[in-house]
Amino acid sequence: MANLANLYDVSKCTACRGCQVACKNWNQLPAVIEPFKGNYQTHEDTNGDTFTIIKFFESEDPVDGLKWDFIKRNCMHCLDPECMKVCPKQAYTKTSWGATLHDPDKCIGCQYCAAACPFEIPKYRKREDVITKCTMCADRVEAGMQPACAATCPAGALTFGDRDELIQVAEARAKFLRANGFPRATIYGKLELGGLNNLYVLTDTPDKFGLPVNPKASGNVTFWQDWVQPYFGWLIPLMLTASATSFVTSRLIASKNGEHGEHGEGGHE
Amino acid sequence: MALIPEYRDDVPRVERFNWLARFSHWGHTVTFLLCLFTGLVLFLDGVNWLAAIFGGYRGAGLVHRVSAVGMTLVIGIGMVFGFKGIIEWIKDLLRFGMNDIIFVMKFPLEFLGFPVKIPPQTRFNGGEKGNSMVTPTCVFLLVLSGYIMWFPAIFPVGLVRVSYWTHDIAMIGATCMVCMHAYLGSFHPGSGESFWGMWKGTVRADWAQHHHAVWYEETYGDKKAE
Repeated sequence: MANLANLYDVSKCTACRGCQVACKNWNQLPAVIEPFKGNYQTHEDTNGDTFTIIKFFESEDPVDGLKWDFIKRNCMHCLDPECMKVCPKQAYTKTSWGATLHDPDKCIGCQYCAAACPFEIPKYRKREDVITKCTMCADRVEAGMQPACAATCPAGALTFGDRDELIQVAEARAKFLRANGFPRATIYGKLELGGLNNLYVLTDTPDKFGLPVNPKASGNVTFWQDWVQPYFGWLIPLMLTASATSFVTSRLIASKNGEHGEHGEGGHE
Repeated sequence: MALIPEYRDDVPRVERFNWLARFSHWGHTVTFLLCLFTGLVLFLDGVNWLAAIFGGYRGAGLVHRVSAVGMTLVIGIGMVFGFKGIIEWIKDLLRFGMNDIIFVMKFPLEFLGFPVKIPPQTRFNGGEKGNSMVTPTCVFLLVLSGYIMWFPAIFPVGLVRVSYWTHDIAMIGATCMVCMHAYLGSFHPGSGESFWGMWKGTVRADWAQHHHAVWYEETYGDKKAE
């Protein structure tokens, strides 16, 4: 099955946050009340009970003047997900059509994935001691529907469908935007980190929207997973074997040399 | 051949480790082994039978955290009440000299059981000095990285990522040392009385004189400082 993706067009979004409500509604997520932080953003970031969020960026540009940007953030459903690599319980799976799913029944709350994700998406739900994140509404998609956020978006900023087709739509849209007042308009998610199933049309460079310009798997995580975990641990059985060898040889040599068993005398020298 | 030499109280004995050193040592032993086996549950990826011993993965996680706090307490108690002893320990480690280098070089033969001549050693021989430097360093790193991973929300994510491999490498380092240390402190024929030194606190005077001549002379022998 072809990869299905969710395309989010920044230029069409009105920040109504209907997607946030639809997501909470479909996934039966309780409200999370956070204190007012001086802007319209509902939460500081996604959290254990909030899988998607509209982030607000206010900035003053000497050329463009005051700018007010918003962007929908949620799991990127990477084609090659880091979370899946580090999970010690194999709680992460990839569906045949591209969603990265996390099984809370297998999760043991170690939170390795939360730190490994280059987008810091998996979040810890303390009351259940599990990690949670966006599921791309796999249950809806597999029943022939769209994800709740895409289905509800009144501005048409969210489109769900075949990834290859959406990339063409996104590229055409970015081209249009570049010719119509957004010279730095670009797309995001086509090549980043080997490809994402969450695609963006951005009116400006990714850093303006808090997205990593060149997301990479952390070298620390790669070193840990590809070197320390598979190889370094063999030193331990090596040491055990050395001790076992010594246990045998030292006794063999002692009996051969005819030494008596009184080590208390310090007779080994 | 007996596994360890018989404990004899009919011969002159001298104190090797006071009660606080022994409490600290065995406190570390219990908490370290609990932490090790509960931690291996995650390190080895999917050893369900090991997790089952501790009541599943969450049970193992709980035991790991409780033991970690226990270890922190043991360290704290040792640092506060045994500060003088730790300073003396460090002072002895800093006496790393030619006798220790010769010890370490000849040790592989001694380890396998060949008779070798070893120069007089201070309170801790060259190998013990190595263990005394590597293992506490690893434990320090384990504790530090462990708490960072326990409370990732209050630390920068980069530090949490560093802690993951630091915790693993420190665990491997400490466990390798512990494997050797446990064997050399008990069943190795050349180690003799070492086990009783840590279990009962005293060792035979003749053994101490033979294995740690410098220490024995300075503490109990002719060179004893008045």
